Amino acid sequence: MRMKIIYILFVSAFVFILSMCRKPELFPDSSYDERLNGGSQTAFDATSHAFSHEFDGLSDYDLSIHEVGDAAFEQTFITAPANINNGLGTVFNNVSCISCHHKDGKGVPNAGLNESSLLMRISFPGESQNGGSIPVPGYGTQIQDKAVFGKRAEASVNITYSFQTYNFPDGTSYQLQAPNYSLTNLYTPISGNHLLSPRLAPPVFGLGLLEVISESDLVSRQDINDNNGDGISGKANYVWDDFENRKMLGRFGLKANTATILTQVAAAYNNDIGITSYVFPKETNHGQIQHDKLLDDPELADSILNAVKFYVQTLQVPARRNVSDPIIIKGKKIFSDAKCSSCHIPTMTTPVNVAFPQMSNQTIHPYTDLLVHDMGPGLADNRNDFLADGNEWRTAPLWGVGLFETVNYPAYYLHDGRARTLTEAIMWHDGEAANSRNYFAQLSTIDREALLKFLKSL
Amino acid sequence: MKYYCLIIMCLSIISIFSCKDENNNNNGNNTVLETQILTDFAHILANPNYQDIQAKANTLRIAIQNLNNLSNEENLNLARIAWRETRSSWEKAEGYLFGPVDDYNYDPAMDDWPVNKVDLDSLLASNNPLTLSDIDALPTSLKGFHPIEYVLFGLGGSKIATQLTTREKLYMVSLSQSLYNTTSDLRNSWDVNQSGNFTNQLINAGNGSSRFATRKEAFILIATSMAEICDEVANGKMEEPLAALDSTLQESQFSHNSTADFKNNIIGIQNAYHSKFFDDGHGLNELIVSKNISLDNKIQSQITTALNSFNAINSNYGLAIHTQVVQIHNAQNAINALKVSLEDDLINFIQTNVHD
Repeated sequence: MRMKIIYILFVSAFVFILSMCRKPELFPDSSYDERLNGGSQTAFDATSHAFSHEFDGLSDYDLSIHEVGDAAFEQTFITAPANINNGLGTVFNNVSCISCHHKDGKGVPNAGLNESSLLMRISFPGESQNGGSIPVPGYGTQIQDKAVFGKRAEASVNITYSFQTYNFPDGTSYQLQAPNYSLTNLYTPISGNHLLSPRLAPPVFGLGLLEVISESDLVSRQDINDNNGDGISGKANYVWDDFENRKMLGRFGLKANTATILTQVAAAYNNDIGITSYVFPKETNHGQIQHDKLLDDPELADSILNAVKFYVQTLQVPARRNVSDPIIIKGKKIFSDAKCSSCHIPTMTTPVNVAFPQMSNQTIHPYTDLLVHDMGPGLADNRNDFLADGNEWRTAPLWGVGLFETVNYPAYYLHDGRARTLTEAIMWHDGEAANSRNYFAQLSTIDREALLKFLKSL
Repeated sequence: MKYYCLIIMCLSIISIFSCKDENNNNNGNNTVLETQILTDFAHILANPNYQDIQAKANTLRIAIQNLNNLSNEENLNLARIAWRETRSSWEKAEGYLFGPVDDYNYDPAMDDWPVNKVDLDSLLASNNPLTLSDIDALPTSLKGFHPIEYVLFGLGGSKIATQLTTREKLYMVSLSQSLYNTTSDLRNSWDVNQSGNFTNQLINAGNGSSRFATRKEAFILIATSMAEICDEVANGKMEEPLAALDSTLQESQFSHNSTADFKNNIIGIQNAYHSKFFDDGHGLNELIVSKNISLDNKIQSQITTALNSFNAINSNYGLAIHTQVVQIHNAQNAINALKVSLEDDLINFIQTNVHD
């Protein structure tokens, strides 16, 4: 009898052990998973290709459009007349989209070189008829610092830095480099006091998801007069869209001065490369002495502009890494405690979109509110851009920020790339973000590292 | 009864040990092999390949200086051979376009396309200086391989030595020096004797590398780069002139070197898979063959098929787009099949089997 019981126990144990042999199943995408920065459109790739993945679930036709856009994004434009990639300039900042948005990511904060990705906006003080900046005669609202053969670059953009070293309470030092911008070699004089605003090319992934976040959701997060007294306001930047011919909510650009991906892409072709399209059919130097006077506008085929717009619209967002690491979990809590998350909103949901199911009803983690905030005098460009005043910048999306060093080595942060590390970027925060910066500065070494490790997991 | 108990106990013990996920059989040997593969990728493939590009760019530089000193057909031909040799080595390195070549824009500095012919002709027709510093300041579409090719071979490859003007030769002298300098920067960026070199980043993946948190990331990057060049060759470089039936849309149109470029890109993929250049190292193939021999057979077979498919394209590519469309489609299909295996099967294999 005793042997029988032992026998039954062994058989039971054997069956039980066998039942445990089942391999773990994949975690279903439909369930909540904080790695999914882009919801269902999240790329599980932490390599230098992380920003370049197309949406899942595109039809064969849509995939082919994405690929056409991908190829066009990399095309180098050349001087007209040419049978391919026609119409560079005559003045320009760079020769292709990829020249500034390296690997669909960020650029390099210098000017005048082939790899340069920093451009300089220019305007007179005041507000134009449509609420934007006042163009400078002969220059418009952007300095094109390169030119085709036989023409002159509008100006040389000079960047110098002054350095200051600081210490955290624990004795750890850090250095901030403050840029100084100036123009030389002007091709024609500027009469009057002009304003400059540097802009470093930002990453282009995830823009499709940012474009579909409902306007009411974003506007509801405004607190222009800081009624809740938390020191953080946040303002939606309503901008004039030349193509739509109406005021719209600005979402893109470093001061949220552009409403749609289409306008953003077409404006970049026009202002940065000197390529005309159906959205902007005139050269930026139309009416100026360096205009090419060729009757070849629009230079970009409608289909190519639409394909590049679709390409940018359908780039996935990289997944978070190591979300269960206790230090990162701790860093995430510190991020919240420091009120970083008051502007860098961790989670949003896109509305239902039956026409584009990949972007429909997605829980995403952009870490932005797409609003403009006062970032203090140190970062101020002192130049208005529609409703964004000289101190205000759009909250930068932080999704993918932990991969900048991997994709765009060496990494640069903030609107003009002055910050070389995440620590520097945080310590440049001021204005509405001063309290968060001070919170970070007073953290213990371990807690500071935990916050940084959390950011690097994004 | 004791036998039953004994058998059941044995079965239990066997079953407990067999519970381990069959895909998760990472062990010390795998770590050693994975590290060895990355080490050989750097030391047996990348470093020799980049050294070779630099050496051949130096030969090209000297050949163009000789051509400048004495413009005869022999020197023109030697310069053209040197251009093709440098091009061949560079195109092989395009099988793994990551690291400094990408980070520091060495790729567009050497190999931007198309040539800005309007500006190039204007520059040559002008009196502007053509020293090295002048050339370095030019846009990428006016320097690197293809402007040299344009001047050296001429439209349709028709240039003869006596047609070379003084300014064309001066331009090429500075262009070839600039190209050599870029290849030197690229080579130095992997040189273990240089601080911050990329070799140490790669071989220390998952072990202190600031660029690769894990070996898995490094392997996925290698595989992704291999797949990307497949896409660029089949669906970009080959497809664009074919779809438009326009030979001026091919990249190496002046030298009629396009088909060689395509094939060298695929050889670059083969080299990346095996970690080989002059010598054979431990390659990705060894990692795969130990666990999924059919996948290794499939990839190796597809690489061979893709390479062999170019043998059927026996006229220059500008002509072949009109006369050998079937052969071109066969090559494109072979490369696209390889691409699918690399971006799906190989990357999935790495995701599943490399654990660190």
